[in-house]
Amino acid sequence: MRRIAVSGLGVVSPFGTGVKAYWNGLSAGACAIRPVTLIETEGFRCRIAAEVPDGFGGSLRRSRADRLALAAAREALEDAGLSRVERAEAALAVGAVGGGMLEAEAWYWERFRGRRPPSRPTPRSMLPFSHAEALGNALGLEGPRETLVMACSSGAASLALAADLIADGVVATALAGGVDALTRICFMGFNALKLLCPEPCRPFDRDRRGMSIGEGAAFVVLEELGRARARGARIYATLAGHGMTTDAYHVTSPHPEGEGMVRAMAAALESGRIAPAAVGYVNAHGTATPQNDRIEARAIHEVFAPGRLLVSSTKSMIGHTMAAAGALEAVATILALVHEVVPPTANLETPDPDVAFDCVPRVAREAAVEYAISNSFGFGGQNVTLLFGRA
Amino acid sequence: MARVAVTGVGVVTGAVTGGREQIRAFLASSGAPALSVPSSALGGLIDETEARRLSRICQLSVAAARIALADAGLGPGAGLDGYLHRGPGGLSALLFPNTVMNTMAAATAIAVTARELSLTLNAPTVAGELAIARAAAAVRAGRADAVLAGGVDEFDSALAELLAEGGAPSERRGEGAGFVLLESLDTAEARGARVLGEIAGVAWRALRARPYGVGRGAASRAVAAALDEAGATSGEVGRVWVSASGDGPRDRWEQAILEEALRPARPPQTALASRAGRHAGLGALAVAAAALDEVSRGPAVVHAIARGGTHVALVVRRAPVE
Repeated sequence: MRRIAVSGLGVVSPFGTGVKAYWNGLSAGACAIRPVTLIETEGFRCRIAAEVPDGFGGSLRRSRADRLALAAAREALEDAGLSRVERAEAALAVGAVGGGMLEAEAWYWERFRGRRPPSRPTPRSMLPFSHAEALGNALGLEGPRETLVMACSSGAASLALAADLIADGVVATALAGGVDALTRICFMGFNALKLLCPEPCRPFDRDRRGMSIGEGAAFVVLEELGRARARGARIYATLAGHGMTTDAYHVTSPHPEGEGMVRAMAAALESGRIAPAAVGYVNAHGTATPQNDRIEARAIHEVFAPGRLLVSSTKSMIGHTMAAAGALEAVATILALVHEVVPPTANLETPDPDVAFDCVPRVAREAAVEYAISNSFGFGGQNVTLLFGRA
Repeated sequence: MARVAVTGVGVVTGAVTGGREQIRAFLASSGAPALSVPSSALGGLIDETEARRLSRICQLSVAAARIALADAGLGPGAGLDGYLHRGPGGLSALLFPNTVMNTMAAATAIAVTARELSLTLNAPTVAGELAIARAAAAVRAGRADAVLAGGVDEFDSALAELLAEGGAPSERRGEGAGFVLLESLDTAEARGARVLGEIAGVAWRALRARPYGVGRGAASRAVAAALDEAGATSGEVGRVWVSASGDGPRDRWEQAILEEALRPARPPQTALASRAGRHAGLGALAVAAAALDEVSRGPAVVHAIARGGTHVALVVRRAPVE
């Protein structure tokens, strides 16, 4: 079985553009959740989100999500130092949900009111696959191209499926990640479901009241480990395994016992042939809804003994970035291995007594961890766990 | 590497609804094009609760999946993986969960108790073929014993209007769902399944093209890679099931790609979109049609290309699989 190396990272997050800004924010335990500026939120119960600050560049003729994706993907490819030929043969896997909906909504909104829209979005640019086409065309990627739409686990799924393509020998290299921009439909939908907290979210806190929405993009370059070593690439970590399962229980609610989550984590460990005790850190899905955190904590407990295991939620700092979440949190997990520092759970004041783990409240923790997992669980009962190992 | 058997098929389209026998009859006939799925097609396939709770596109998906499982001699609870696709959803906050494209996969997974990997791929005009190729690769690599794979699209007049207003190319759009059940040949034979055919090779790549555009290059690495995986040569190909759907530039691009990939051979071609309209369920119909084709000699190629450059090739052999 071919082993998979992570040899390039790229991020555009609510902390700014670039991996460095991302890690600085995470390791400081900063919270980037602030009043929303991109969309009108008058009348909503929640009026905050984690928006990406200006500076990520790109032509304004592209959708915001395309520009987020391009900036992150470019950084990852440049970081990996792939040649033009290597890029041309690389696979591209993009986790996406919202597509260019932010611009399409603005256009539709004006048109609905009988006003002349400022510009007309290309109809297809609103769909999730538009990011893969934009990236493939701009970056010269001509290998297998896929857009995974798996709700909040889309970004993580893209890494898992790209890894499969390398493991099967279809390609030697892949660019994989996820992207989502803030959209009205997402904000409105979660608001309607009463899942948004009016204050910055507090995962694993006893008094948590719901989630915060965010946006961003993250991409990683994956390649066969031996090949990465041979070309002298910087290897951040290995993608040592992954597990993907479906609850087949409910379209929006997770299985109450978290049995699909348990199977995903167990499958990741099994595929990497790693014992649970070897895992020192769990980057949790950690949305901060009362139900999800409780079920995830129960599932983690079923797979791992509490002991020294550290658990934290990146969403406490950058919100729930939807299709980008799995990729952004994968990068957070990789950086935790690289820097030997576990990012904290921001805003965690009163740990939930039903959560039997050290959830790293507010302050990052020095910890040399050999293996770490990143959980992503989405609508549709779609569970993805990625297992990373120190390089 | 495991060999990949096609052991069941189910389609719900304007032109044909049913399993292998209905598709066989459809292929032998020459009916007029039918692009919309009549409501009567879902009768007996969706229960009252599902009819009330599921969106129409989820109903199409669930119905086609159930037909495919029944065609394969399996019922719910078989522990199957689901690979689905669909298009955009509505914009109502009350319907929010239905706006996420994996809702059809979720509804179908619940309906047929598929608890392993469930994947939704979004790709213009090739999603069904891509899902089947992905599923075949998973079975071949031993990641799954059985996968339900295919696609679904619902005709949405508001979206069609928006697309037309935005200058999208015209084509023969239809709606419907289609799934095939793929199993490792060993698994299929062990349970005494009626093997419909074999997916002997798959590949998917991207050709250089601007987003939503048609490219100039015709050198397809997908067709060559799929034939190579199947151990077949271009001269052996008996028929190509193409994705042509009335989008002139894209259809001509597909012809150039196939000519380049198969030369000097020029096997006959069939475009199912001319009878059932283009939708994501056609991939399953094309694979089943290739497996049921008793006229052509040699393996068939199921080919699909999208504007933007994503293209997929599957090499299908008829049963009996040797």
